[in-house]
Amino acid sequence: MTPEMTGLAIGILFGASLVVSGLADPDKIIGTLRLKDLHVLRTIAVFVLTGMVGTWVLHLFGAAHFSIKPAFVVSVLAGGAIMGVGFGLTGYCPGTGLACAAMGRLDALAAVLGMSAGALVFIFLYPAVGAPLQKVWDLGKVTLPEMTGIPYAAWVLGLGGLGSLALWATRKK
Amino acid sequence: MSAPTVKRALLPWFSAGLLLGFVQVAAVAVHKPLGVSTQFVTAGTQVLEKVVPSYVEGHPLIAKKKYRVPGYGWWLDIGILLGAFGASVLFRRFKVRKAPVWWEFNRGGGAGKRFAAAFAGGILILFGARLAHGCTSGQFASGWAQLSFSAVPFTIALFGAAMVTAFFIYPRSPHIEGREEP
Repeated sequence: MTPEMTGLAIGILFGASLVVSGLADPDKIIGTLRLKDLHVLRTIAVFVLTGMVGTWVLHLFGAAHFSIKPAFVVSVLAGGAIMGVGFGLTGYCPGTGLACAAMGRLDALAAVLGMSAGALVFIFLYPAVGAPLQKVWDLGKVTLPEMTGIPYAAWVLGLGGLGSLALWATRKK
Repeated sequence: MSAPTVKRALLPWFSAGLLLGFVQVAAVAVHKPLGVSTQFVTAGTQVLEKVVPSYVEGHPLIAKKKYRVPGYGWWLDIGILLGAFGASVLFRRFKVRKAPVWWEFNRGGGAGKRFAAAFAGGILILFGARLAHGCTSGQFASGWAQLSFSAVPFTIALFGAAMVTAFFIYPRSPHIEGREEP
């Protein structure tokens, strides 16, 4: 398969999963942000832990394709906070915004148009703002195991174990 | 008129998370971890390429091939649209709607204000996501899946700002069907 076809196949699976999981629903997202309904929090915890353990297992077989993000701390904090305001206001993020627009939500379509405009703003401001900011406190493409000296396996099994235990202990009886 | 109610998700949280996790692992196995927001910059680059090609050529970021030639990630985003449309039709969740229940319950039914807020929010979402080099998919879900250090400050900033914002925008909770209580 070409990379284009592979991307399309993964995207279809991801889009469908966002729908059936309830993540592609701003009401469920807002419910978790307001700590009134933890469905989304629990779902993303299982999502992240499964991805973490699965990626590690693939790595053990030499089959993982990593794409570690650069840790320019100030830019990540600023970007995360700016995105957070939009996320808390709308209940959408880029992936669920696309999914919700495809589910007939007209406000999600407005959000996707806003995101397209936001991409242009980013492009225009990149030379003056984005690029210089990314040079401040840049730790490079570093992972938690590299940073702490604690082995990869210990991180995965530790976080996986603690996370599973926390989800199990707080489940609805 | 019945009381505004948030419908339950199609899957319970455990199977929902497991399914998303398997999609992530499949992505890591075949090409690279999930990510969505980069392609909005690719889309912008395609437009600018038509209008002001010399600007693209001289730009420190979008002159790069990954933004000028749509590839794996581009088709992944198209796939999200197709997959979400297909699943929502199949499972009867496709519905033309103007605002979430939380919005109507807290801020009234006028669609214009919601559209304006969604558009403005969208600008912040994408601008912020690219400044952080990833969104809830690339930086949060994939960041943690690979134990990227950058996921730590991103998670704190994103959810901190989102929770404070949601607290002010959506003070009152509507009825939530089968909610997962804190």
